[in-house]
Amino acid sequence: MILSAESQKTIDTYLAALRKELRELMDEDANDIAEEIRFHILDKIEDGSSSQAIAATLTALGTPKDLAARYRTDELMKRAQSTRSPLLSLHSLFRWAMLSLVGLIVFAASVIGYTLGGILVIIGFYKLIFPRNGGFWFNPRPGGHGIDGEAGFSFTSGGPWKHPGHEILGMWLVPIGLILGSGLLLFTFWLGRWCIRKLWRPRALRTV
Amino acid sequence: MKDSESTFKATTAKDALGARPEIGAQEIGPDKWEVQLRKGSLELAILSALWHGRLYGLEILRDLETRSELIVVEGTVYPLLNRLRALGLVESEWVESDFGHPRKYYQLTPAGRLRAVEMARIWVRFSASMTNLLAPLNEDLKNDDPRKDEL
Repeated sequence: MILSAESQKTIDTYLAALRKELRELMDEDANDIAEEIRFHILDKIEDGSSSQAIAATLTALGTPKDLAARYRTDELMKRAQSTRSPLLSLHSLFRWAMLSLVGLIVFAASVIGYTLGGILVIIGFYKLIFPRNGGFWFNPRPGGHGIDGEAGFSFTSGGPWKHPGHEILGMWLVPIGLILGSGLLLFTFWLGRWCIRKLWRPRALRTV
Repeated sequence: MKDSESTFKATTAKDALGARPEIGAQEIGPDKWEVQLRKGSLELAILSALWHGRLYGLEILRDLETRSELIVVEGTVYPLLNRLRALGLVESEWVESDFGHPRKYYQLTPAGRLRAVEMARIWVRFSASMTNLLAPLNEDLKNDDPRKDEL
């Protein structure tokens, strides 16, 4: 079948727009999808390559944006199941959160885990670099016993640190912060990926 | 209250189907429900279409159109096939064609065959129970059927 230049251009423009919308997928997957759609269009217009036939075929497929949206979530989640990138994992969890309550819970837990882990790592590094500018303090309540009192972290950006109580961890804050923080970051990443593997299912009945 | 009672009062299936309650009509209208029902059965329909062997996308579409009343939107089938592949229910392979361009063929995996049987079993059971439940409406349905003269 020989297509007119105008028909060929219409199809190429549609596929280029689709390919662009699929840019967050792996090249191999995006190319595979675009090729399948190209051959579908060519099969459909086999009996009539008029511009009306092409327009009707493209309308039936939907806009490149809508069509790509139907693919993106599934492909993204598939990649997230084996990714080593926390950013891709978090991106996938965010997309999942938009689709279901389970996804929202997993995403919220991940955000909390990453935030806490990140704060602990930052505290560890800060204490390592500026040992006299901050730390973990405890201020016992007057007349109280044991752990009755206030505790917390406080830091200063410069000058001597005036914490509101007694510093109780000292330089131990460095390994504790780094180990606990890194562990929490790794655990959160692992948990997010595990949840995607075990709990996420592409819903065939979902209408995007 | 009198108005709303009279609005929802329907004594026959014809009245019930023809009634257009003002509240939430768009959400509960039979048209929308039918669309959702058709979409919901698409996964089983595709697995069934592949039961006897491999097909490519357009063949699946044509098979569904020929053998069922499912009005399948092309832009829905390909992403759905992709999902079924991600679930391990179908597998795909590009095959060169003697008559033109290559085509991506889909076929059921063993897990897909099991899933199809499981879904078909649920469908048949559900359908039978609904038929039983709808038995009292049969007389009215016959009277409303536009094809009754042809039967």
